Amino acid sequence: MKRTLIIMFFVLIAAAVAFAQTGVKKKRPLPYDYGKVVINNYSEKAGLAPVVFNHWLHRAKFTCRLCHVDVGFAMKAGTTGIKASDNISGYYCGSCHNGKPDAEGNKVFESCSKTVPPDEKNRCQRCHSLGKNVKPAYDFGAFTERFPKGRFGNGIDWEKTEAEGLVKPVDFLEGVSIKRQAITAQKDFALSPKLEGMPDIIFSHKKHTVWNGCELCHPEIFVGVKKGSTKYSMIEIFDGKYCGVCHTSVAFPLTDCQRCHTKSVQ
Amino acid sequence: MKKPGTIFLLLAAAVVFSFPVTGINSLTGGSVVFAQEAWKGEFEAICSKTQDAMTFSPEELKDLITRCDNLKPAIEKLDETQRKVYLKRLQLCRELFVFVLGSKENR
Repeated sequence: MKRTLIIMFFVLIAAAVAFAQTGVKKKRPLPYDYGKVVINNYSEKAGLAPVVFNHWLHRAKFTCRLCHVDVGFAMKAGTTGIKASDNISGYYCGSCHNGKPDAEGNKVFESCSKTVPPDEKNRCQRCHSLGKNVKPAYDFGAFTERFPKGRFGNGIDWEKTEAEGLVKPVDFLEGVSIKRQAITAQKDFALSPKLEGMPDIIFSHKKHTVWNGCELCHPEIFVGVKKGSTKYSMIEIFDGKYCGVCHTSVAFPLTDCQRCHTKSVQ
Repeated sequence: MKKPGTIFLLLAAAVVFSFPVTGINSLTGGSVVFAQEAWKGEFEAICSKTQDAMTFSPEELKDLITRCDNLKPAIEKLDETQRKVYLKRLQLCRELFVFVLGSKENR
């Protein structure tokens, strides 16, 4: 009996080690780090620190659609392949970071340029900042102080922040965006979870189209043309597919179960 | 009074120089030729319709998909940066139209 127990114990330990993969629990990022993207396609090869991009600041000013559709940033980090020459030509980061004033009249620093004036020698570090002690122009705490709080992610309820008019994400960039009619949002719908007893997921098209438009999600993320035709599980979503494309990286994270699993539209 | 030959030449020139901007299938064997920068007008005309994609009939959607396909070669000739940006944008528009067409045909 004792021997069997010892064998079982060692079998369990061996199985745990074998299936643990890295064996390290994922650390929850700090609010200001949630949505942070490090871009290093060419930076280090060019002798610069990798770029640190903060989603929290940019999403407070622009819709996801503007950057990921009109400007052309890919949805997966590192797959756009941004070069300094692209920025200099006025594309990608250079679409806004071009040294000209923005819609509020504030001069937006130039992202990349062939020459840097002596008084702007630290400008590169504003983006190429990984591992450097760079004081950001916007302080997360001060910037988000008035925003309604959320439980996870950035610790901000972005949906409420937008609904209350505390942020007005810009969806049109002169010279880049195309003038279009206002979007006609499709109907909200319910999705039944596989697990019995879990509240239905109410998906709000209206709330998603405010930030995303249509082509950001369809068909790249949600390919099924008929409701219910694509079956997806929480494992896939946690793995960064479907809802998980945004809700593991930028939008409120999947640990905030009740924001999706609700019978009333949230 | 102008000679008939001059009038013919003027008319022929008008025909030749007016069509490539908008594209004409009969002159180019089915493919569309875009004048420099005309591709952008066509790109904007196509991709400005993504917001209303659900309101289009299958025929209109098929036409938009064909227009995307016709425009692609013109974008492929652009410089590296523009090509990268606009091919991606065109792809997003085209795929949305295909998606909506599929959803309408599956109803």
